[in-house]
Amino acid sequence: MQDRRPAYFAWFILPSVFLAVALVASLASLFQYSFREYIPGSIKVGDFTLANFGRMGSWVYLRVFIDSLLLSACTAAANLILGYPLAYSLVRSKSSLLKSTILITTIVPMFTGDIVRTYSWLVVLGKNGFINGTLKAAGIIDTPLELLYTPLGVTVALVQYSLPVMVIILAAAISHIDVAYEKAAASLGAGPLRVFWNVTLPLTMPGILSGTVTIFAWTLSAFATPQLVGGGKVNMISNMVYQLGFSNFDFPFAAVLSMAALALIFAILGLMSLGMRRLERVGLH
Amino acid sequence: MFRSVMGLSKVRTFGASLTFALVAGTFGTGASAQEPLRISIWGGSWKDFAAENIGKRFTAETGVPVEYITGGTIDRLNKAKLSKANPETDLIFTTSHVGWLYASDDLYEKLDMAKLPNAKTLFPEAIISPFHVGTWSYVYTIAYRPDLVPADIKFTSWNDLWNPRLKGAIGLPDFDPSHIIYASALLSGGKTAKDWTMGQKKLLELKPNIKAFYNSDATSQEKIGSGETPVQVLLSGNAYHMMSQGIKINLVVPKEGAIIGVDTVGINKGTKKADLAYKFINIALDPATQTLVANKQKMGPVSPQAKVDPAIAKLPGMFTTAQQWKDQAIVIDHKQRSELLGEWRKWFTENLIAR
Repeated sequence: MQDRRPAYFAWFILPSVFLAVALVASLASLFQYSFREYIPGSIKVGDFTLANFGRMGSWVYLRVFIDSLLLSACTAAANLILGYPLAYSLVRSKSSLLKSTILITTIVPMFTGDIVRTYSWLVVLGKNGFINGTLKAAGIIDTPLELLYTPLGVTVALVQYSLPVMVIILAAAISHIDVAYEKAAASLGAGPLRVFWNVTLPLTMPGILSGTVTIFAWTLSAFATPQLVGGGKVNMISNMVYQLGFSNFDFPFAAVLSMAALALIFAILGLMSLGMRRLERVGLH
Repeated sequence: MFRSVMGLSKVRTFGASLTFALVAGTFGTGASAQEPLRISIWGGSWKDFAAENIGKRFTAETGVPVEYITGGTIDRLNKAKLSKANPETDLIFTTSHVGWLYASDDLYEKLDMAKLPNAKTLFPEAIISPFHVGTWSYVYTIAYRPDLVPADIKFTSWNDLWNPRLKGAIGLPDFDPSHIIYASALLSGGKTAKDWTMGQKKLLELKPNIKAFYNSDATSQEKIGSGETPVQVLLSGNAYHMMSQGIKINLVVPKEGAIIGVDTVGINKGTKKADLAYKFINIALDPATQTLVANKQKMGPVSPQAKVDPAIAKLPGMFTTAQQWKDQAIVIDHKQRSELLGEWRKWFTENLIAR
């Protein structure tokens, strides 16, 4: 069958071409910076060197990568645990009040900026904040809990920040399940839990995988939340890149860390794609 | 017929547009006849102060408008570097040691002091380099919340920050660790910035007392205001701002002195308005402007001829006499500081900030 689309349709891809060119140019700039010598006390960079890559082996920076991976993994796991029931209720509930409540509480915060949301966590998690104030008033604690500037505080703020995205991805996956499969299982005597465990959950596995990996990769590049809630005591890769590049003027090593983080994210996305293909092969999609 | 009517309509529209363009052009030429003097400066109260107290007078005296391009210290430095061939601004306000980075990267004109008559009477510490000159001073020193720190804990020396009872109470800037690094070196027997490694061991011992690091004036104020870090190494101007908001803060000049900071101004290399730039700087250094620097902004004047309100002159960190500069100010050599800052930050990042 002949393609009847007008020839000018091809021009519609121009904006994405511009974006791609800008992205490639900035990555190329980053790449060349990573091979340049750092000159202390100057914003100029020196000659070609491979020494910047050697610094990646330092425990200090490896630790930042490990911390970032752990924080991202915890955030993704917490998102899945909290997001799945919400997404399930959002899709399957017959109560429009419940659906509206879920939408308002999970999705609407997405429309406030991340700085506003993160600042509100400073108020909630602070020494004199909402949580400590409530626990003190209830007589449960005498001295305030250390929540701010800790990995726990950063994880909580990151989960709240990314939860709407997880709910949207999972809700899309759940809504694509043909309820006839569940009805068939129920008609054969399976209880609600068994139906969920053996039918619903496996069928939403692609959504679970893509949601988890999306949140994991997204969190790995988080900046504002760890910067504000971490207070310089909890640092993720982006914070270290900022610290090195914009406070220390060490653009070459900041570029190396950025490239390494980018490579890590690509590797994770590659693994996700592999996982999706395996799921498709076993017929879970 | 239809085409000819449309044609006539087009001619009329074209004529009207042309008339409008000519009228607008005539008036437009009048309005934009004078190219503005472009100034790179921090936003917020810094820009407001410069606009209100220097820019207005400059425009009144020269008829030249002033345009302010605002941004953070490092963002503006990067921008200046990127637009080196065709500078976006004519004048740059920045911190003394960052000014040395501009100078070392050939982004500044060498100043002709003969064109700055008001510079002749400045405190000698205000003449930072042949490229940039101080406009006001401030200190980074110990500040604490008396309502949140036990009354028996006193701050008379930098050494008091190491008090074990201050565990998890201190906030430090992460963008410039030079103050605490220098103080630690002094306490460990160092004499100049080059002796900074002498203070490394002592500085590591401060780690348990550090609750958080702040990365901007805003986060500094948020952390001391909320009481999360009831003790901070704090910029005096920020402390006075918080006090004006009703927050109880005590600012201390330790017996070793407070670390002085000087904000400076320099002329962009390649500017076509150098004469106007000199005129602007000279107004900034005028004793009348310097009086406003102290009385309005609570920043230290760089001119000893500034008429400072006695109540303001008494404030800690407000150095108005040569004797105060000598007795209470720790001046880290600005050039040395700019050269060592990268090394300091690297060490600080890897040993104090990173876990």
